[in-house]
Amino acid sequence: MNLSSLKWEQIRTWLLWLVFPLLTGVLIASFIPRPVIGLIRLEDAIYNFTARDMIKQIVYAYDHPEVRAVVLAINSPGGTVVDTEAVYMELARLRTKKPVVTVINGMAASGGYYLSANSDYIYAKPTSLVGNVGVIGYLPQTPLILEEVISTGPYKLWGSARDVEMRQIDMIKLGFFQAVTLGRGDRLKMESELLLTGQIWPGTEALRYGLIDDLGTETDAFAKAAELARVEHYKTGDLYNLSALESSSSTFFLQSPEGITLPYPNKPGIYLLYIPELPTQ
Amino acid sequence: MKRNLLWIGLAALLIPVLLRFFWFYPGIISRPEIATPEYQSLTIPRPTMQTQTVAQPDVSSVGGVVLVDYFHANQFQPTEVQSLREAVEQRGGQLETLIDSSSLLAKLKYADSLLIISPSAAYTSDEIRAVTSFIERGGRLAVFTDATRGLMQVDFFSGAILNTPDINVVNPLLANYGISINNDYLYNIVENEGNFRNVFFENFGKAELTFGLKQVAFYGTHSIESESGQVLLLGADQTFSSVTDAHNPAEGGAAMSQNGNVVAFGDFTFMTSPYSTVADNGILITNIADFLLGSEIKPSLAAFPYVFSQPDLHVYPGSEIQLTPELVGAFAKLQTFLHAVDVNMLIATKEPTDGDKLILSTFSLTEDVVPFVEPFHLKLDEESKFVEVPGYGNVARGGNGIILFESGKKGNTIVLLTETETELITLLDAISGGNLGSCVLQGEIGICSIGSSSSTSEETGETSTGSTPEGESTGTPEATPTPVATASG
Repeated sequence: MNLSSLKWEQIRTWLLWLVFPLLTGVLIASFIPRPVIGLIRLEDAIYNFTARDMIKQIVYAYDHPEVRAVVLAINSPGGTVVDTEAVYMELARLRTKKPVVTVINGMAASGGYYLSANSDYIYAKPTSLVGNVGVIGYLPQTPLILEEVISTGPYKLWGSARDVEMRQIDMIKLGFFQAVTLGRGDRLKMESELLLTGQIWPGTEALRYGLIDDLGTETDAFAKAAELARVEHYKTGDLYNLSALESSSSTFFLQSPEGITLPYPNKPGIYLLYIPELPTQ
Repeated sequence: MKRNLLWIGLAALLIPVLLRFFWFYPGIISRPEIATPEYQSLTIPRPTMQTQTVAQPDVSSVGGVVLVDYFHANQFQPTEVQSLREAVEQRGGQLETLIDSSSLLAKLKYADSLLIISPSAAYTSDEIRAVTSFIERGGRLAVFTDATRGLMQVDFFSGAILNTPDINVVNPLLANYGISINNDYLYNIVENEGNFRNVFFENFGKAELTFGLKQVAFYGTHSIESESGQVLLLGADQTFSSVTDAHNPAEGGAAMSQNGNVVAFGDFTFMTSPYSTVADNGILITNIADFLLGSEIKPSLAAFPYVFSQPDLHVYPGSEIQLTPELVGAFAKLQTFLHAVDVNMLIATKEPTDGDKLILSTFSLTEDVVPFVEPFHLKLDEESKFVEVPGYGNVARGGNGIILFESGKKGNTIVLLTETETELITLLDAISGGNLGSCVLQGEIGICSIGSSSSTSEETGETSTGSTPEGESTGTPEATPTPVATASG
């Protein structure tokens, strides 16, 4: 074996045992995805359209391993009970695998806070509105009959008796209360009586009462989510785009004849909703 | 050598993978168990105890009339007082609905109590005066407000909602009795009847109204306080006022005046179905019925013609009075008037001993009339032109009529005295109009002007001057003689 063939043999050996595995390793490593911290925004009331969109994004995060955590950016007065519960339950499923960090922008009131409570960490701005734990509903009409409407029972038209509706509201409140106490655990530093008054607090007070964990921004929320997910050098991704949602919406709030959006829902029902004070005199 | 190369190759393969992996995923994530509400364990809260019906087979029939105010834009439907109506009727009483102010003033003369529920229109000073006078006579007043029933109106131009709580209307009425109702509602977050605004009361003031109560539930009640009376329904320490968010032991759901004749409640909903059967609300409703029918109202002359306690009124002209055609005519007018107030008039030929009585006489008292007049200590001197009447002094005999009223267990008695029989007919005509407006009433004695003393005294015993019905003139019969008077002359 001459020198040149010996050198070639060495080169071939190194290529075979070092470079080729290295390249293969690099190739394989390239399949390891860069972690994504997904972002879900809620900037409306919680009703059928917004809830459906949120659920799609949550399911996407659950199904996609590169999404290692989710930041929930909330600015919502709440909404319908059933849609809030639907999103809440999907969030709970997601949290079994991945951390969720909430950042409250304008407000997380009522149903908005219901969802916030189901997260690993909550940030808010100093003057974000937080809380309003409770349920609000419109009692149905006293049963009556109409000439043009035929039904088969006294409550077929209105759904339930006024007294039952009133008590049902309190039952829903208990579910909300449990969601908050389970979600916040030892971090909650207020008596249940105070919590259930339905008060809404600025972020600073909410922090004092343990309704949130810290004051912070969306950037802080991403960092916290990454910390909880134990990832670094992550990228952020808006799950609305990632899950290829198409824009769809409907009106949840009542509109005045002049086209002004009022803070009241456009149909009677039971809501986890913050409604600003009535303009009484 | 080969083994070394194998390790090198393996390392070359793994290093980039591990580097990238740990670059992105430096730690191991472990998720905690996520606890969610036990939705399946949540149930609709129901009232803890119910008194479906309050059986009271041995309730005594006391009778009486309860007036229900329904002309001050009261925020309730008549069917909502059904449970109270049943309790009142079970006791032989009845509810009468007031639909205008004049019926209030008229019916307070005979009613036992007045029921006011969540009014929105203010009471006039005349109405307040009438109610105050009614209570002073022993009548009873029950006021129900309700934090959920205030009148709300939307301003057409601004869209603003104008709230008129019922307390604004009733507080002026209750002020004289040391009771004030606050513009708030009571709530209890910790222990309540299905909702924070449905509060229980388990501590009670001592009164017949709270007899037999252990727990009462109110549904959106104002708080009530009383300076001179007592608070009847007291909430637990966690029962807060919506205005102060604090417990005030001096406030409750109901209060009673010091004299025990006025009671105010902060809630009315508890009397309506289905809440009338929750806890001891049914017992409270029957206690309210007892309260409403338990007045010790004393009939007074001011309440005429609602001063009779029996279905029959025995009219007895003294033995010296002749049943002239003019007097018969006056009796006929009186009979028609009394029928309108459900009183049957009977002429008595002997002085009646029992029942309601109307005695007619001139100042020249005969023996049969004297027993009816004696209790009033009138000094009738035949020589004098005056009668000395306690509380009035000397009253001219001519031109004046005296009405005496005595209330007794066996019936009530009214005595009419005038100088002449003609004047007696005039006085009888006047009271047959149902209006004692031209009479001075003082306690149980009234003095009525029925003519001019000078002209009457001149004609005393000889002729008859005019008799003008009370309601038709200013009491100057001479100026407007009636055909009756002319005929008798």
